[in-house]
Amino acid sequence: MGALLHLIRKEWLLLRRDWHALLLLFLMPTIFILVMSLAMRGLFASHGRVAVTYALLDSDRSPVSAQLSARLAAQPQFRAVDWGGDEAALRARVRAGDAQFLVLIPAGFAKGLLSRRPAAVQLVAAPSVEPTLLMLFNASLREAAAKVYLGVSLKGMAQALGDPSAAGAMDLGAVDALVAAPASEGLGAGSPSAVQQNVPAWLIFAMFFIAIPLSNTWVQERAQGTYGRLLSLGLPRWKLLLGKLLPYLCVNLAQAALMLAVGVWLVPLLGGDALALGSSPGALVLMVLAVSFAAVSFALLIANAVRSSEQATIFTGVSNLLLAVLGGVMVPRFVMPAGLQALGLFSPMTWGLEGFLDVFLRQGGLVQVAPRALLLFAFGSLSLGFAAYLFKRRQRG
Amino acid sequence: MIRVHQLKFRYPNATAPALDGLSLDVPRGSLYGLLGPNGSGKTTLLNLISGVLRAPRLAIKVDGLDLSGHLAAVQSFSALVPQDLAFYARMTVQENLDFFAGVRGYSGADAAARVEEALRMASLGPSRRQIAERCSGGIKRRLNIAIGMLNRPRLLLLDEPTVGIDPQSRRFILQSVKAIHAAGTTVVYTSHYMEEVQDLCDTVGVMDHGRLLAQGDLKKMLSHGHGKAKGPKDLEDLFLQLTEHALRD
Repeated sequence: MGALLHLIRKEWLLLRRDWHALLLLFLMPTIFILVMSLAMRGLFASHGRVAVTYALLDSDRSPVSAQLSARLAAQPQFRAVDWGGDEAALRARVRAGDAQFLVLIPAGFAKGLLSRRPAAVQLVAAPSVEPTLLMLFNASLREAAAKVYLGVSLKGMAQALGDPSAAGAMDLGAVDALVAAPASEGLGAGSPSAVQQNVPAWLIFAMFFIAIPLSNTWVQERAQGTYGRLLSLGLPRWKLLLGKLLPYLCVNLAQAALMLAVGVWLVPLLGGDALALGSSPGALVLMVLAVSFAAVSFALLIANAVRSSEQATIFTGVSNLLLAVLGGVMVPRFVMPAGLQALGLFSPMTWGLEGFLDVFLRQGGLVQVAPRALLLFAFGSLSLGFAAYLFKRRQRG
Repeated sequence: MIRVHQLKFRYPNATAPALDGLSLDVPRGSLYGLLGPNGSGKTTLLNLISGVLRAPRLAIKVDGLDLSGHLAAVQSFSALVPQDLAFYARMTVQENLDFFAGVRGYSGADAAARVEEALRMASLGPSRRQIAERCSGGIKRRLNIAIGMLNRPRLLLLDEPTVGIDPQSRRFILQSVKAIHAAGTTVVYTSHYMEEVQDLCDTVGVMDHGRLLAQGDLKKMLSHGHGKAKGPKDLEDLFLQLTEHALRD
């Protein structure tokens, strides 16, 4: 036990003096989380947040066109900008990306509303607008136009029946009540936000990146003969492996604590959403331990499989990027083709990310995350076993 | 002290064995110079004796103990000083010694006393707080040896301990090795510096291609020659006659 404590203390001393490794392990993921959470918050904007801006040019200037403008402006997720100017000037600004949409209400809109050939409202989208957002805004515009049409139609029918008050008796607001307000399943207080997605994703990425300093120090110690010397002192191989595994597990835990703190406290200070940690601290701790064990064991496997520091750096970088891409760290898995999604099921980063999302978004507890944690522990055990085998093989010459 | 009998060892995927039926005897209390060209098997032999390399059946006895079954016991009274600077470059001289004393199992006052003794023996006191990678080549070599002295070994295996250092440091190390030997330690010393071995050692063994070519009392070998080495002028001449002049790349 004494030798193990000395090995752990040695690792601590070496890490403390390796500023490059500390920057890689702590600063890089912090920056990733901050940048990605703040940059992507528009995509994940929730109720009451302005996510989409649009300009509107009402060339009809009628009470009916004003109704349409008002209905669109009543949507909380849209914000109208009033720049003034003619259609060409507004088109230029939308083209430049100052707003995402331009709504053009043509002259004669009210007059032709009930005719067979109405003057149609035109929607213009900025070049960068994603198709899904275009569909969403278009649907909202159609809904607003439909309500205006319905209101005008009812009014006309009531007048034709000789009872103008009948139109007022119809409550168009009741249409909105037919479908309840959307709610996200699982997350109690709010909806998924950029920080909920990004903190676990980049945390896992950073935890697996521990392979770079770990494998490099392992390869250096092997090349410098320090491992040989330690073996000549009678230290068993398992102690040397454990002497690396335990300190780096602690580093992983420190990384997790820092990244979660960044999500909870720093991101909101900079204007983003705060990270909600879910309702099961036990499940969160289990996931952190499982990801950490998998990451450090995988790092030890790489360290024992490669021959040089250069190989270790390249192999670690490439394998981590591949696992991250397949695991949905960089691109959400649901946007991937079915084949890649299926392949992603074999990435330990997928298990880790889904486990964290179980805790953060789906209110998962120990029972819900246990299968993913078990997969990660199994992956870690296999990696560690194989690392031990390779280590032993090297000692046989 | 060390008895090796018909020892064979081959690295995985190697075309030729590193040790091919090697037999040698290192007398107790001797300062044994182990000579051989690059790739002759010297370091492999020291690594096997010290447990850095393992093999299922080892025909090696150290102080009467069969290495296959008593490696831990042998490791407790022996020490390997590898050719590489096998310590932690980002730790100070003292931190390195404290660490290796700790993993050897020494603690408290005993560990502190052993570290002080090693620092004194290698004249490292003034450098104890220096980060090892910022030390001179001579200090690094002395630290490498000092680590090997922490268990006060009865058997010291020195693998080219004077490579790449200035004459002053070399002289200091050679004097230290003599002092260690004079205190009763059996020393196996490998080197490519023939004059060093001639000055230092009382017994030599010459290896090549994993086999022992010659072994015996140095003075006798120099005066009478050995095998195909006839009337050598000095140790280098004896070595070249035995191992021939062809380059070993």
